[in-house]
Amino acid sequence: MIFGQIKMLITILLITGIAGAGMYVMKLRADNATLKANQIKLETAVAEQNKVLEQQEKDFKAIMESNKKLNVLINTFKKDLQDLDKRFTKKNRDIGKLALERTKAIERIVNGGGKNAARCIELASGAEHTPEELKATLKSQINPECPALANPNYVPFQ
Amino acid sequence: MYHFNKILAVAFIILLTGCSIGGEKKIKIFSIEKPREKLDYPMPTPLQMEEIYWHIITSENAEEVFKKLEEAGIDPVLFGITDKDFQVLARNFAQIRQKLQETNNLLEEYKKYYEGTE
Repeated sequence: MIFGQIKMLITILLITGIAGAGMYVMKLRADNATLKANQIKLETAVAEQNKVLEQQEKDFKAIMESNKKLNVLINTFKKDLQDLDKRFTKKNRDIGKLALERTKAIERIVNGGGKNAARCIELASGAEHTPEELKATLKSQINPECPALANPNYVPFQ
Repeated sequence: MYHFNKILAVAFIILLTGCSIGGEKKIKIFSIEKPREKLDYPMPTPLQMEEIYWHIITSENAEEVFKKLEEAGIDPVLFGITDKDFQVLARNFAQIRQKLQETNNLLEEYKKYYEGTE
């Protein structure tokens, strides 16, 4: 009788133990699955962050490049205006007096300048360069009203 | 009859819980990033300037200039500016042209930055 009861107790203990072990293994498996999922999420987040950082770096470079370009452009504008002033006042030049002395020549120069200035406005508004404008590398070939805009291949002598 | 009731009860339970067995356990939420539509405005049409002719009139050639105008069938009237104002006009035009170029460049840069070059 007692032997039977001990046998039953051992059997219950064994079954409980096996069941406990089984449940523990299942819990470990579930934990493992959760950890794996977390790991995947972390890796994805890191990859996304890297992508964002890369994009930010790219954007920053593009902004710097754009700023540089606009600064160059604004400096060119200043130089163009100075050159224009110089053309009117170089060596105490008085265009009024010159027009009195050489009316026809100044009329021709003024009309040529007007034509060039009009072409500069067309180019500034987005017109395409002509092959001659692109080819111009000599001072005699350029549009003196806006050489930087009209003749991108012309390098002025410093 | 007793068995029929049992079968009915089981069938009813299966009917109520059927969709939950082996189905989706959780609602899945997807977020798909859709890029903003491109504005895609064409760049402004370039200007086409018309040619004008500048007449230079001095006290000496005034008569000759007006005579030539009359001969060409043009009203003998001129809208004049002094040499100093001509310089101002040239400078003003240069500034307008520069502003136009600056605005166009800005537009291109914005387009490039926000819409890409592809």
